[in-house]
Amino acid sequence: MSRALKQAPWLIFLALLLIFALAPFEWMLVASLKPADEQLIRGNPWWPDSPYWANYTNLLGSHRFQHWLANTTLVMTSTLAISLVASLLAGYALAYLEVPFSRGIVVALFATYLLPQGVLFLPLVTMLSQLHLLNSPLALILTYPSLVIPFGTWVLWSFFRGLPRDLIDQARVEGARTGDILLKVVGPVAAPALAAVLLFGLAIVFNDYFYAFAFVSDESAQTLVAAVGSTSVDISDSGFIFAAVTIGVAPVALLCAFFADVYARGLGAGVID
Amino acid sequence: MIGVIAYPLGLAVWFSLTDAQVGESGHFIGLGNYDYLVHQGTYVDALRNTAVYTSLSTAIKAGLGLLMALALARTFPGRRVVYALLFLPFVFPVVIGTVAWYYLFSNVHGGINYLLLQAHLVPESIAWLGLGPLPMASLITVNVWHGTALFGVLLLAALRSVPADVLDAAVIDGARPVRRFMEVGLPYLSSALALGAVLSVVGTFGDFAIVHLLTGGGPANETTIVSTMAFQIALRDGALGVGTAAALSMVPVYLVVLVFVVRVAARQ
Repeated sequence: MSRALKQAPWLIFLALLLIFALAPFEWMLVASLKPADEQLIRGNPWWPDSPYWANYTNLLGSHRFQHWLANTTLVMTSTLAISLVASLLAGYALAYLEVPFSRGIVVALFATYLLPQGVLFLPLVTMLSQLHLLNSPLALILTYPSLVIPFGTWVLWSFFRGLPRDLIDQARVEGARTGDILLKVVGPVAAPALAAVLLFGLAIVFNDYFYAFAFVSDESAQTLVAAVGSTSVDISDSGFIFAAVTIGVAPVALLCAFFADVYARGLGAGVID
Repeated sequence: MIGVIAYPLGLAVWFSLTDAQVGESGHFIGLGNYDYLVHQGTYVDALRNTAVYTSLSTAIKAGLGLLMALALARTFPGRRVVYALLFLPFVFPVVIGTVAWYYLFSNVHGGINYLLLQAHLVPESIAWLGLGPLPMASLITVNVWHGTALFGVLLLAALRSVPADVLDAAVIDGARPVRRFMEVGLPYLSSALALGAVLSVVGTFGDFAIVHLLTGGGPANETTIVSTMAFQIALRDGALGVGTAAALSMVPVYLVVLVFVVRVAARQ
């Protein structure tokens, strides 16, 4: 058999898998190019006969869209910043400093990650309501890091464990302080693991619906993702919604998709090899 | 961590032992809520649905993910782009993806029915979200759409640790080497497979978005899973105590999963 022929079944499989993976995106793109009512009622839902660009130009003047974008950016950057710093510090401390029960803490952290959101959201709703934080992006900024940090710490801890200790010991002998070691020695080396945690956090924030839906119901305080979920039954806005998704979400997701390798290696660091 | 995890967890345990309603603290009633739940037909159904949804989704994702990894381990033009596009559903918000799938499955001018009708494969629209086993199959389809790539990328990373000759012998030729790969190559992938399985079980078991948006647990609670049931009891019906008890009843399964992870990690 020739090489090409041997490849064929695998390539056909990949082509089918690609169609399955991308079909909803194609549909969303088409939906964004049609008047609101048309996509869901008549015509070919897989092709726009005459692209309707008004959905996109309407976004420019839309306060709703601006709110969603601002909330998403605020929640996303705050969550990622808090989570990265906390995971780095905690992972470093657990791997290098003499922390009592460090092994137990690592297992507890992983267990925390496994805890379903469904268990925590009811008490959290009550707490946030008592703090008058419901319906504010702050509710999400306070709670999302709790979903990212445990796993992020675990990833960085596994990464640091694989590094030679000499690196830190030497810097310490030369009189560097912990802050300097973190910034100048450990930080740059840990960049791949940090990138994996970044992607992981981004996927968490992008994929959460439970918290976003339960904590924030006011449209002007919602993230783009939760807003789309909450208007899902309101078909009158499909053109607007999917234009917003195409501009506000798709580019970030596509960019992240090209870093699949970083994600896999960072995630698997502690387990694979 | 204590403020957003330990304290709420403690609070959850307390709620589940009281007759609390939304907005008012209740009285201690012991295990009354749990007793109430296990005598509810809908709760037993939800448990069964959760088990079916989680196990089938995870098994299909693992299978497709393994094939995806094996296919992507080969070299061909455009491989990087294909790799990224296959990973896209995993990093794309599942909420938005599910809304799109909702319209693909719709029996009123839905995307899938449109294609089937145009090709004259079916005489009339199929109610994908309507009857019998189809709604659950639809949920699993969306879950698989979202999560296959996680297995794919983890397994691909692990494939690199398989010695080249094992891989060559196993992957490139026909059927028999495939079986040989299962025997020789698969052990190298076991830890990646375990990690993928844990992440998938956690994600699917606690899933809320897909079920809530696609079927809302319907028709007639046939696709209700424990997490959507907890949400509905607590926030729609206002029975905070019962809802929290339903949510907490998921924890034993998580402990089993955790033990499994630690075992696999310890074996390495």
